[in-house]
Amino acid sequence: MLIPFLSILIGVAMGFFIQRVRASSPAMIARNLRLENISVIKFMALTIAVGMIVVYSLSLVIPQLLHFDVKPTYVVGVLLGGLVFGVGFGVGGYCPGTCVVGIGEGRKDAIVAILGGVVGALAFTLTYTTLVEPIIKIANFGKITLPEVLHLPSILVALVVGEIFIAVVRFLPTEFKKG
Amino acid sequence: MTFAATAPPAAPPKATAFAAAESPSEKTPWVFYGILFGLLGAVSILVWGPIGVSGTYPRFIGAIMQFVDPAYAESNPYLKKMGSLLKPETFIVLGLLIGGFLGAKVNREKAPKCEMIHPGETTTGKRYRDAFIGGFLIIVGARIAGGCTSGHIISGITQLSVSGFIFGLGVFTTGILSAKMLSNRRAAGV
Repeated sequence: MLIPFLSILIGVAMGFFIQRVRASSPAMIARNLRLENISVIKFMALTIAVGMIVVYSLSLVIPQLLHFDVKPTYVVGVLLGGLVFGVGFGVGGYCPGTCVVGIGEGRKDAIVAILGGVVGALAFTLTYTTLVEPIIKIANFGKITLPEVLHLPSILVALVVGEIFIAVVRFLPTEFKKG
Repeated sequence: MTFAATAPPAAPPKATAFAAAESPSEKTPWVFYGILFGLLGAVSILVWGPIGVSGTYPRFIGAIMQFVDPAYAESNPYLKKMGSLLKPETFIVLGLLIGGFLGAKVNREKAPKCEMIHPGETTTGKRYRDAFIGGFLIIVGARIAGGCTSGHIISGITQLSVSGFIFGLGVFTTGILSAKMLSNRRAAGV
């Protein structure tokens, strides 16, 4: 019972953070994707940088306690999925998690987005064998990470990539004037 | 060491319904919560594994199929692969609902009005149309790729997974393109 309880707590904290930075506001997401206000994109980049440096630092000390789970890199399917996802992100202004947070704060269009998502999951499930399985078999490199590809120590890559993310986040302005 | 925005807020001249949804400037505590979220992701990897969300949608379909047509649920390889809803991810999704509620509550925010996000969204119906299409595409896209913003971008890149970088590249390419195209009123004249 400990893991479900901790998972709910992690979810509550995550939902709280997402709501506080207005990532659950589809108008805010649209402003980010139009590059008028990139605070949510910077929020994500900072989250990744901090997480990366912390987990790979921990992996030097307590590697046995970390549950890494890297997703397979089937290049065509991952890129195609990302491109499809991006269109949906731009059109609706929600992602699969933020619409759930949106319902929590009382957004009615978030309910509609989830309905769309459930219909999407159904369509995907029904066409998986015929349409999707062939795609995910193309150029499947398995569960690879950047340090493995570069043949460099993980902690080094984490520090460099993390620092680059932080530098870009600090360098770029958060709001842009419309040109 | 300042992350604060320097540019003054932009107030684009847009249709009334659309302009109403645009707030003048939005400074959010994203630096503070970005650091906390990074630490939270690390805690999740310590507790059971990286945070993910979108797999819950097909697991939900699987749960319904088990009820409606158990024989089909057993025969569909994808539903078999994704397994039951009794996963930490499902509890995270439940938590998101509560977290969103609490986030609005502690700040004493009223239920947000329906935000029109593109100039073409002149009625609530059109907003719901876009929310539905968007919701459909993000889940189809996420399931093709095997993860979403949290699983691939946040957790994936945190672990330096190559797939996370590729997915993120795809998402921001079409995300920025589609949002910019829809902000052009003529293009959005639906």
